[in-house]
Amino acid sequence: MAVQTAPPEASTSRRRKSPLGSRWTPYVFLAPAAVYILLFQGIPLAQQIYLSFTETTLLNPAHSEWVGLENYERIFGDGEFHRTLRTTLVYTVVCVVGSVGVGLALALLLNRSFRGRGVARALITVPWAAPGIAVALIATWMFNAQYGIVNRFLDAVGLGVPGGSILDSQQYALPAILLTTIWQLFPFTSVVLLSALQSVSQDLVEAATMDGAGWWWTFRAVTWQVIKPTVGLLALLMTIWSIRRFELIWLMTKGGPVGSTETIVIDLYSQAFQSQQLGTAAAIGMVGVLISLTVIGASRAVARVAERRLS
Amino acid sequence: MNRSTTAGLVLRILGILVALGIAVFPLYWMLVTALSTNAELFAPRARLFPDLGRLGVFGEALADGKALGWLVNSLTVATGTMVVSIGLGIPLGYALSRFTFRGKALVALVMLFTQMLPEALMVVPLFALFRRFDLLDSLGGLVLANSAFVLPIVGLVLKGAIDGVPRELEEAARIDGARPLAVLLRINLPLIAPSIAATAVISFFHAWNEYVFAVTFIFNPAIQPASVGIANFIGELGTPLQTVMAVALMFTLPAVVFYLFAQKYVVAGMTAGAVKG
Amino acid sequence: MRTHHPRPAAVIATASVIALGLAGCSGDSDADPGTSDGGSDGVTTVTFAASTFGDPGRGPLLLELVDEFNTSQSEIRVSAAAVPYPTFGQTVLTQMGSGLGPDLIRFDMPEFASASEAGLIAPLDDLIDVSQYDLLQQPDQFMVHDGVRHGIIFEASNYAMFYNADLIPEPPTTFEEFFQTAQELTSGDTFGLAFRQTQEEEAGVWQDIFNYVYGFGGAWSDGEQLTINRPENVEGLEAYQSLYDAKVIPRGADAATFRRMFAEGKVGMELNNGGYVSATQGQGPDLNFSVAPIPFPVRSQGTILAPIVINEASPAKEAAATFIEWVLEPENQVKLQEILGASSVATVTERSAETLEETPFLTVFDELTDTSLPHVVLGFESRTPDIRKIVVENVLAALQGEVTMQEALDRAQEEAVSLVG
Repeated sequence: MAVQTAPPEASTSRRRKSPLGSRWTPYVFLAPAAVYILLFQGIPLAQQIYLSFTETTLLNPAHSEWVGLENYERIFGDGEFHRTLRTTLVYTVVCVVGSVGVGLALALLLNRSFRGRGVARALITVPWAAPGIAVALIATWMFNAQYGIVNRFLDAVGLGVPGGSILDSQQYALPAILLTTIWQLFPFTSVVLLSALQSVSQDLVEAATMDGAGWWWTFRAVTWQVIKPTVGLLALLMTIWSIRRFELIWLMTKGGPVGSTETIVIDLYSQAFQSQQLGTAAAIGMVGVLISLTVIGASRAVARVAERRLS
Repeated sequence: MNRSTTAGLVLRILGILVALGIAVFPLYWMLVTALSTNAELFAPRARLFPDLGRLGVFGEALADGKALGWLVNSLTVATGTMVVSIGLGIPLGYALSRFTFRGKALVALVMLFTQMLPEALMVVPLFALFRRFDLLDSLGGLVLANSAFVLPIVGLVLKGAIDGVPRELEEAARIDGARPLAVLLRINLPLIAPSIAATAVISFFHAWNEYVFAVTFIFNPAIQPASVGIANFIGELGTPLQTVMAVALMFTLPAVVFYLFAQKYVVAGMTAGAVKG
Repeated sequence: MRTHHPRPAAVIATASVIALGLAGCSGDSDADPGTSDGGSDGVTTVTFAASTFGDPGRGPLLLELVDEFNTSQSEIRVSAAAVPYPTFGQTVLTQMGSGLGPDLIRFDMPEFASASEAGLIAPLDDLIDVSQYDLLQQPDQFMVHDGVRHGIIFEASNYAMFYNADLIPEPPTTFEEFFQTAQELTSGDTFGLAFRQTQEEEAGVWQDIFNYVYGFGGAWSDGEQLTINRPENVEGLEAYQSLYDAKVIPRGADAATFRRMFAEGKVGMELNNGGYVSATQGQGPDLNFSVAPIPFPVRSQGTILAPIVINEASPAKEAAATFIEWVLEPENQVKLQEILGASSVATVTERSAETLEETPFLTVFDELTDTSLPHVVLGFESRTPDIRKIVVENVLAALQGEVTMQEALDRAQEEAVSLVG
């Protein structure tokens, strides 16, 4: 018997009436959160959409000049923006696959009971608990060309990078940032996946194993079914978040060298706070949002296809 | 049992140790760096082990009392964010899971949508909004801003968890005459405890580490959280690496302790529930 | 089982109360935060934001100076606003753009230019009578736009050549000697020179290359048109590149690192500004270092100008102006200069005999004031960040060997002109 229950839609008509108290109950449950989100996210979002069609400076945000699609035309016409899009794509894919993959592996490892499990779980969250600024500082120091421990280690095992330049080489800066980012992220994914794994009925798993089923089969038939929605949600979330991730890249390379680590958010930030062009920044932000929407749509489509294939 | 278990066990232990090593090493390195002298940092051979004789660095960092204040402020903001987002997120997740109502798909979509918005994009309009509601320069305002960002995820994770709770249990309680809220509290909560713990950690850590809003909305140095306090060390004239690392370590530990705490209490609650089957 | 079940409303109410409770308990949320609260119990509070307050060395001393002002009279209280240096411009400009922000601000030049152009800085002509002060003319001219004064110089740090006197008994006086000295000193883990060369330190690279451009007789603009690729600029930057190619610098090292290396005797020379004298002395108390003018063909270099300004949105402008006037008084100018170290302040000052005995090369910095220029593109001051980004990106590309310096500067000129005209 699967742990999944039927989707809520199945019993609509019955639900609306007295067993739940009143027709308003859902809204009462929903209202505070919804109002809250609408206020603090909805309004600024609407403003940003508007701003993206204007020319507005940071120093005079009240006065906007409507320019229509000009901002969008300008950024899409810029060859560097295309590279920014590519970099963002690479960054996103690697971060998601890396963090979800490592997180899942770790969650599976930590799922069994063993002495010191609590301590292990707590230690795993250490990268996540560390403040972004501290992580950027220690990572920059670890990758330091002359004295960084990473370079010293690489040299010691013969894999040395020429000149030790990692963060200021166009080839290695992005990988270094990706490694640091995944390091920061995998605690989050493993915590979420661990909690999902705990909903998997151990009875079922044991039953399957005693029946002689191998680990992989058990995983696919039992475990995966339960955690699938969580994995899906995580992958989606990590993707959307990747487009947002700012601190590490900004503090480590600011998008350099020569733009090789410039993602959409970095571009947005320099536009808003260095060039002080809020309109252009908003347009770039909207492009990021559109990309996220596309990703959601695409993932839904892929999920549907996969469902059909697997059943 | 059989051979494969032992091999599996060894691999498992190895895997966990490697993962722990990777997770903890940079923090360990922060410790070593905090306790190194300048000469040691720039020596031809790296110093691999912390010089425990220099633990005074931590004392110095705490000396002017500012660091402690920062930590307290961060604690306030993080705890507040956690309380608000879970307090609002549980009903939200429940509504999304169990009810059908007009606009449900829209709400879910908007929530996902909000996760696409970078803080850097939101800080300017939020600043104007906060000013109008007089929420600037207050930790409460920061709590509200952070909660708004985290609430959609909390709601979605809890929705997923509640989806996994069999409706039969709720039906049984309802037949007994319990009102929806009681159903929620008595039946669902214990069963989704690990997810609540997860969202508690998510919201706490998000607020704990948050920098952009904190630096823009807070003017009064007395209520600066640690994420901003640490940035203060990155001076125009260079960063005293040792001091920053020391403060950063002190900033990381409470969050880890919090996680241990959350895990113990909430997960314990869950194991009790699972016995019921 | 008719036990009392809390109604949904109660839960919501509780959550809201918690939230509002937290909102209530902190900061001053009654007055418009960030600016002074006018005249409660007769004391006007004025907030002063400066990234210097966060400096481990100079910060506490500056706070002491502010305290002196506070205790010297009882109507005005200046309180230091701690804004972290990495996001100083962004934070303060966001606040000012919304009509808030600190009352007094110590700016960097590009933000000063943008803020004054946007009308966010209060004109000082009516608030302060500058004729009574002996202001240093060269840096002060940048405080006035179109006849309106927007700021007073708080600090002017000129660039000069720091060198390790033990390794270099006689400092070089020409570029050729400079190059040679750098080469001779580079061996093992010691380098002859150091400078910034990463995008991550874009602002710093800009400051470093400024010296090469102007030191070879070039300029970024003539006040009306951009002249990024003029021959002297190319010459100066090719000299800069030759040092990079000769591997006399620790590549990939950021400023914090190589300055510490200098303090440890691992770097022989660096072009740095006066603000660093005390920091270097602090980091390397045993280091025997000295300072000489930059040995390039033309005596023209950069300076970090930091003006102090009054926020146009401030309700306490007179109080803020009173503080500035107090700082401009001769004894306080001397005190400020002592705190800042080898920088100059707004007025002509004389250094005490003891300070000169301790640090004899302070006069070198002072003498450079007349030939120093702020790191802005003249005529395009508020667009400096944009131009800077383009120029630094292209120059770094040339360093990496992707293009020649001429090509890089040509491209920079093209991109910059299309951006700012």
